[in-house]
Amino acid sequence: MAYEPVLTKHCAARDGYTLDFYVKNQRGYEGLRKALALQPNDIIEQVKASGLRGRGGAGFPTGMKWQFVLKDTPKPKYICCNADESEPGTFKDHVLMERNPHLLIEGCAISCYAIGAKVAYIYIRGEFYHVQEVLEAEIEKAYKAGFLGRNILGSGFDCDVFVHRGAGAYEAGEETALIESLEGKRAQPRIKPPFPAVAGLYQCPTAVNNVETLCNVPLIVLNGPEWFASLGPEKNGGPKLFCISGHVKRPGVYETSMHTTLRELVFGEQFAGGMIDERPFKAIIPGGSSVPLLLEQDLDTPASFDHIQKAGSLLGSAGLIVMNDSVCAVWLAMNLLHFYRHESCGKCTPCREGTDWLFKLLLRLESGDGQPKDLDLLFGVSTNIVGKTLCAFGDAAATPVLSTMKLFRGEYEAHVREGRCTLPAPWRAAHPVVAAHQ
Amino acid sequence: METVTLTIDGTQITVPKGRTVLQAAIEAGISVPYYCYHPGISIDGSCRVCIVKIEKMGKLQTSCSTVCTDGMVVHTREADVVEARAGVFEFLLLNHPLDCPVCDKGGECPLQDFSYTFGPAESRMDFPRRVFDGEGVKADVDFGPTLMLNRNRCILCTRCVRFMKEVDGDAQIGIVDRGAGSEIATFEERGVHSLISGNLMDVCPVGAILTKDYRFKTRPWDNPGVVDTICTLCSKGCNTSAWLKAKPEWARGSQLIRMTPRFNADVNNYWMCDIGRFTYHWAEGDTRLRKPMLRPSTSPGQAPLEPAAWRDVEPKLRDRIQDAGSQDPASVRFLVSAHASTEELYVLKQLVEGLLGNDGARAVTVTWTRSDKRQPEGTKFKVPGTDAPNVNGAKDLGFEVGPGNEGMPDLTRLRTDVEAGRVKAVYVLDPGPDGSIGDVSWLVAARRSGTLPLLVVQGVLMTELAAAADIVLPGTAWVEKDGIFTNDQGRVQASSRAIAPPGEAREDWQILVSVARSLGLTMPYETSNDVRRALATSKPGTGYAEADHLLFTRPVPARNWLQASNPSERWKWDFLFQDLPPVKGHSVQMEGVPAQETSIPLKPVG
Repeated sequence: MAYEPVLTKHCAARDGYTLDFYVKNQRGYEGLRKALALQPNDIIEQVKASGLRGRGGAGFPTGMKWQFVLKDTPKPKYICCNADESEPGTFKDHVLMERNPHLLIEGCAISCYAIGAKVAYIYIRGEFYHVQEVLEAEIEKAYKAGFLGRNILGSGFDCDVFVHRGAGAYEAGEETALIESLEGKRAQPRIKPPFPAVAGLYQCPTAVNNVETLCNVPLIVLNGPEWFASLGPEKNGGPKLFCISGHVKRPGVYETSMHTTLRELVFGEQFAGGMIDERPFKAIIPGGSSVPLLLEQDLDTPASFDHIQKAGSLLGSAGLIVMNDSVCAVWLAMNLLHFYRHESCGKCTPCREGTDWLFKLLLRLESGDGQPKDLDLLFGVSTNIVGKTLCAFGDAAATPVLSTMKLFRGEYEAHVREGRCTLPAPWRAAHPVVAAHQ
Repeated sequence: METVTLTIDGTQITVPKGRTVLQAAIEAGISVPYYCYHPGISIDGSCRVCIVKIEKMGKLQTSCSTVCTDGMVVHTREADVVEARAGVFEFLLLNHPLDCPVCDKGGECPLQDFSYTFGPAESRMDFPRRVFDGEGVKADVDFGPTLMLNRNRCILCTRCVRFMKEVDGDAQIGIVDRGAGSEIATFEERGVHSLISGNLMDVCPVGAILTKDYRFKTRPWDNPGVVDTICTLCSKGCNTSAWLKAKPEWARGSQLIRMTPRFNADVNNYWMCDIGRFTYHWAEGDTRLRKPMLRPSTSPGQAPLEPAAWRDVEPKLRDRIQDAGSQDPASVRFLVSAHASTEELYVLKQLVEGLLGNDGARAVTVTWTRSDKRQPEGTKFKVPGTDAPNVNGAKDLGFEVGPGNEGMPDLTRLRTDVEAGRVKAVYVLDPGPDGSIGDVSWLVAARRSGTLPLLVVQGVLMTELAAAADIVLPGTAWVEKDGIFTNDQGRVQASSRAIAPPGEAREDWQILVSVARSLGLTMPYETSNDVRRALATSKPGTGYAEADHLLFTRPVPARNWLQASNPSERWKWDFLFQDLPPVKGHSVQMEGVPAQETSIPLKPVG
């Protein structure tokens, strides 16, 4: 059954991002009109029935998250849209915001109505300046057309959407750190509980949702939860964007259902089109840099939250990083730890000190100066980080090390034994990263 | 009060609802280490060393941020907790310089102590340490007028950041950069400018923030005596600890080495201001009066003051006061600092009433100073304007204090009378620091010009006023005598004798008693407690009724080095660190723990 894209169908159209095009070709803002005729709680029930799961990484059911938002409170409530897309290998939200901004704006408005908020903040990644320009211009148009602002569509419902640009921290994508940053503080996570649903932005009940998640909301309201659920496997319904990068012929964002297997995504002609230069496939990171690697034998797993978890990894943000045989596992771990060391917010001791230590160890191994004890040490340091930090960053940072050590321990040992990488690696030769890191 | 009951390490503990697991453990005497937690500031949950295992919770939890619930079962000594905690300690010490031998915190450092008890036997780190401002002594950088900062020692617990934000009200300290490069900093490296900056040394769990006053002056094990006392530099009356440096071989005896705040929820919480913390040097300064002094000639400015013996001074004083008051007893006037303790004021009151009858108190003018203390608006620790500890005590005894703690003393009546020549003698009682009785240049001028025939100064320092006096009587500072003071809340508090008065100086109540006796009055007091007992009897039903039961502490002599490093600063060690430095191979809190658990080797996992 061929999959018909719904989120990104008109992305390639020249004026696909405009309000007119959206209203004309995508039944634009009909979902909002329909939603405003319903009770807020009905929308939450619909989203729950659809089985929509958060597209940001954790895959938490969105309807449930909304239901946790405190109802009986005199405080204002907020929707925070997490557009701080920073996970290495992930680039889907940026496409939605730039090429289909009104879907997000409509999603924000419906979500606000559902949880009883009047304001949605779109926390956009600092580097997405051009995306922010598009988004803000389209928000302006939505205001003029009466889809945002006071008394939307004559319903008496008020909703404002603001775009706030981050200052370029990966950690700001963590929901409580995002809230801190939005309040003008350092992007560092808060202690949970209380969860944002109880005390979030300015200590008010807040729902933090990913861009892609909010973009699915108008579709659910418009087409019904059954339609949405029918698009994918059980509990993994709806359209899904996959970001495929690495050694594939056609890297990019692909929309499909979560029935699609990893093998189809990597090798399918309508998707990434197979390995570049037909070199052998080595491994895939299925959900952005923070999840464990999967091997060739796992490729027939459907790319859904549940199936990938069963295979031993996570769908995460659906950033598929494909690697061929030229990629050295030690180099991969070092490269990722270079990122995590740089991005650790520094709040919790294990993550702050541990990521730095791990990177130094990996750099030493990669440079050929590794000692036999370093392997146990790498493992020990990683396990000392896992589960000991406030947010999931610590676990994420240790994952590349633990996962590569589990799957490619031989390569680590070869680095110690030979004092160099033993892989035939023409691609690596052209990218002398070690020098750059030093 | 609603309570919850939980189990920690097999012990059932009942605590008020809302307590965290860490607080419950501390109250029950179960040792759980912590750095970012401080009872006086908000919870951060970032240092991660207080992790414990709570049944029915997946991961290990930070006990500082977990609220107790009924039936909770907590483990702090199971193997996985011990190992995980040791792992966090290993991380904390990765970049911490092991310069404990030259660090002023060494010996009273929670990082040191907790690492011995809970940390791994050795570190596996073999990379060079991260260094911010250079190594060794170069790493100490200026951190404002009162502090020094050593970033290499910092473990980023952010207690200082939260202290400045929440207690001081002006968030001058922040963290710059992130991850392993995070460092404590102030805007443009301007340092901390605050009236309560000294508390940062107390909240800092390592030797990163030190006061310039204490730096390089002593080691904790050379401070064997600590005395619970109060600060008398303003009307707040912060509870403090006076630290004494002494070595048995020192001939000179003990020396005041620092003042630190002592917890009192009703007065000063965990804090004190820099004025009280750093203004103690005058008590042992060079200008202290050590002997009584007499001016041989009665004409002013003719002869310098000469030291004399008490037995020679007393008859002279009696004769000259009797002489001055022979025509009109009311022409003998008293100028009394509000730094005088209530005992001294009580004796003084009996003295003036004995001489002048029931309205004798009219002959006494109480004086103090006020100063403008600029603090951020939202500060939680407000330093009052009145720079004297006992205005309320004087008021309670019936002396005229005008607007009291709220305003300035009124000296115009005394001044007019002196300048008009109606006063034959002024007796000044000034046991406070220089300048604490306000501007008395008019009194100096009156004596120099001869308008005032007799000036007696009973004080502690050779001030300008004392230099102009005919008779100078050396009294004692607040750290040298037991005294009670009534703060601006009306709370009667005790200040204890921590060090001996210098030279032949005497406690001020004693001097006043001798003066009164030489003038023929009956004063049945042998000790300061006799005065308090009389005071208590004379004021039943008031805050003074129990004055004779107030506890005055004495320096606690050290019996061994373990006790020497932390003797009487009880609130800190009981409620903040809960820890004793371990003796080799044995630490008090590890008693009863199986032998293999007392040392925690980090074994390679997996």
